[in-house]
Amino acid sequence: MERRIGLGLRQPAALLLAGTVLAALTACGGGAAAPEGEGAPADGGPLVVYTNSNSDGRGEWVTEQAAEAGFDIEIVGLGGADLTNRIIAEVNNPVGDVVYGLNTMYFEQLKAEQAITAHEPTWSGEVPQEAGDPVDGAYWPLVDQAIVMAYDSARVTDVPTDVSQLWSDPRFQGRYEVNTSLGQATPQLVVAGILAPYTDEQGQVSDEGWAAVEAYFANGNPAVEGTDLYARFDRAEVDYGVIPSGSVFSRDEEYGTQTAVVPSASGVPYVTEQIGIIAGTDQEQRAAEFIDWFGSAEVQGAFAQEFDAMPVNEVAAEQANPEVVELVGSVQRADIDYAVVREHIGEWVERIELEYLP
Amino acid sequence: MSTDTLTPVRPAGPRRVRRGRGSTRRVLGSPLGVVVLVATLWFAAAFLVLPNVTLLQATFAPDGRLSLSAFERLLSSERALRSLGHSVLLAATLAVTVNVVGVFIVLVTGWFRVRARRVLWLGYATTFVYGGIVLAAGYSFIYGRYGFVTNALARWYPDLDRDWFSGFVAVVLVMTFATTTNHMLFLSAALAGIDAQSVEAARLMGASPTTVLRRVVLPSLRPMIFAVTVLTFLTGLGALTAPLVLGGRDFQTVAPMILTFARSESSRDVAALLAILLGLATIVLLALMNRVERGGTYFAVAKVATPITPQPFRTRWGAVLVQVLAWLLWVVYVVPVLCAVVFSFVDPRAVMAGSIGLGDLTLEHWVTVLTDAGALAPFVVSVVYSGLASVVVVLAMVLVARLLSRWRSWMASALEYVLHLPWILPTILIALGLVMTFDRPRLLVAQQVLTGTVVLLGVAYVVVKIPFTLRLLKAAFAAVPDEVDDAARILGAGQLTTVRRVVVPFIAPTMAAVAALNFTSLLDDYDAAVFLYHPLFEPLGIAIKQSTEGESAVQSMGITFVYTVLLMVVQGLVLWAVYRRRPAGTARG
Repeated sequence: MERRIGLGLRQPAALLLAGTVLAALTACGGGAAAPEGEGAPADGGPLVVYTNSNSDGRGEWVTEQAAEAGFDIEIVGLGGADLTNRIIAEVNNPVGDVVYGLNTMYFEQLKAEQAITAHEPTWSGEVPQEAGDPVDGAYWPLVDQAIVMAYDSARVTDVPTDVSQLWSDPRFQGRYEVNTSLGQATPQLVVAGILAPYTDEQGQVSDEGWAAVEAYFANGNPAVEGTDLYARFDRAEVDYGVIPSGSVFSRDEEYGTQTAVVPSASGVPYVTEQIGIIAGTDQEQRAAEFIDWFGSAEVQGAFAQEFDAMPVNEVAAEQANPEVVELVGSVQRADIDYAVVREHIGEWVERIELEYLP
Repeated sequence: MSTDTLTPVRPAGPRRVRRGRGSTRRVLGSPLGVVVLVATLWFAAAFLVLPNVTLLQATFAPDGRLSLSAFERLLSSERALRSLGHSVLLAATLAVTVNVVGVFIVLVTGWFRVRARRVLWLGYATTFVYGGIVLAAGYSFIYGRYGFVTNALARWYPDLDRDWFSGFVAVVLVMTFATTTNHMLFLSAALAGIDAQSVEAARLMGASPTTVLRRVVLPSLRPMIFAVTVLTFLTGLGALTAPLVLGGRDFQTVAPMILTFARSESSRDVAALLAILLGLATIVLLALMNRVERGGTYFAVAKVATPITPQPFRTRWGAVLVQVLAWLLWVVYVVPVLCAVVFSFVDPRAVMAGSIGLGDLTLEHWVTVLTDAGALAPFVVSVVYSGLASVVVVLAMVLVARLLSRWRSWMASALEYVLHLPWILPTILIALGLVMTFDRPRLLVAQQVLTGTVVLLGVAYVVVKIPFTLRLLKAAFAAVPDEVDDAARILGAGQLTTVRRVVVPFIAPTMAAVAALNFTSLLDDYDAAVFLYHPLFEPLGIAIKQSTEGESAVQSMGITFVYTVLLMVVQGLVLWAVYRRRPAGTARG
């Protein structure tokens, strides 16, 4: 008896499973036919937009707004380093048409590998030239973020007068978080920021520079995989930690903290998210139109309002949240030569990984 | 000729005849053999050798000149060598501890007469649905700085070091309990295949239960124990999440370093070098195991379907000891999974604080995930990719393993080592190699460009699963008596019919288990997908990463748990589909 009941239940389940797989297969098969072989088709077909800045509903927002403006786009969202590697690996047969959101360092890398192609957008006059690529105009700036050393001013009162005290003054030993995932963009920029004053034009770093980096990692408290910086603030495990300015407001809301920024005499590294056309796309015209639309003051202004971003576009900046403008304006931009950084960050990271990490 | 002199209690099973000279001619004499060989050679050349050679060339000789500076850079780094040492130490330790625990749970669920065996089995089988996230989150919320065990302990001993559960011992403990899946699936299947009559015979001849275990059961399980030992060793070498979360300052392994370097163009040679060094360790182990496996194959495999019956304990103490241990282990296994399920319904802030009240329960994360319009599509894409890849690789490797098990020559050995190549390089480098190789028309794939198509990710999934599948199927083939095979052919069955009607039924349990494991491990893959996925078909690993990488860190933690539970449900269904008919691994497939 039992066996029969079992069988009765099993067969429909098996059929259902088979049906689902079959349906899925045909769906995939049908879709697969078009793009196979030569990459995306030249006519129609969605514009494939590569980005590392699609989390928290941004990707959906951009897709929706683009659709309203008549652009059929498909967002491919990956982490910065992975996305850059993917675009470079695909350089002989590109899959994407447009890339945005990557910082200057990654765009310099794309440019060096000839993975992007120059296009002067209609809004080029509304952004400061030096925020993008003043030499070749290969990529253009969209959004600015400062990488700041933050703390909760409601809890922490003993604040260093300069950020470098954190790793030179024993008082702060183990009280600031260091992110040791050096494959990611933000930790790389932090390193670039520390090394910048000690780096010459050829990218040679002085011994003092390495000593500073060594001290930074040796005296820091390594980030805990899967635990947010502000969660560690909450438990008083650490007092200071690095965060991009764009993330400060949502954190304050979530954790009830009052974020303040440790002052830095030599300035802080900025992430400027850029946009560019992927070289070799067969929809270059369409890609250019998309960039003209997406970077315009109107769209960037709406984006800034929606996501507390700081637009580089000066006209759009007027629409940004005043608190955001104030925070980003309160810190000084560090003098970092991104072309030099791009060329050397790989070896710097390697040296730190091999010699200085705890 | 006799190769089975290692055990005095001669099992009743058939004797394996060692294939010697002339086997090449025999293998190539059949049309199926030729087809399989040609297909294997082609696939190996196109997707194993060519991409990896392309990648290694671009890595070690970017301008056409060989540069070996990676050696110097690596050798001068104390940290790299220390991490490398830790990885090997971890792998070697796990090869022992996982075998001890694994053999114990297999015996408890398949050999001894223990109450509620099925419940025990289900508990131990939870490793099947463990992901790195369950490991990381589950264990750190139980034993971590603010975990509830730590909190409870701190109440009794206020001076407790909150980091008590970290370092080498913690990593070994966690990984030991998390990686017994292979034992549960494959060793159980092998145990189920033991001839009950030889066990009975041994007992009638006066052997004690311990002697029966030591002299009959364990020797018969040896081929499979070797196979799962290799897998365990590899797991240890590649350990990533557990050392990151629990290793602390003193016990970090080399895998995170390899991943970082693999993503940076200028350091990729160091990554490849580190991976090759780990690969060498694997090859040494593999060669050792191959040698032992060949030296003496002997076993007691049932030709008649007399399932082994659960063995009673002889002493009361033995019974109590085994049962207490079994249930303690069960708790250790089940709690992290239960935690993940509970955490998916709880406000993550409460989870992090380490105390959960009724008021913290919420459906918010489930609603977020399930009402997302695009939430289902990645599941379908990943299920299709993983399903196709795991079925294809298992069917293909059945033929290849049969070829290799019947063909003893240096060419066969060479081919076998080539097929193990994907074990040496990390998935991320294999994926990069594929993208870089097939971004132009290649003769080996009929002048097609594969980069940017839906095909390449499927190829990558097949490639990365070849070594695991081949390894286990080869071990399973040890259980197919040549006589049965020969008899089928003498009776006039063609090669394919023989495989389909005679060979497959013998190894079906292993095939099903391997397919299921391949499927579950590919389901949330990120490393291969990140470089290979087609923009219109986003797989699950990418979707999960995206939905959890938002700025709202608290929210993302809840969503991670929801995806983890959903993955566990899908993986649990697969497990159920494979094991629904066989209670607790006792009956034969």
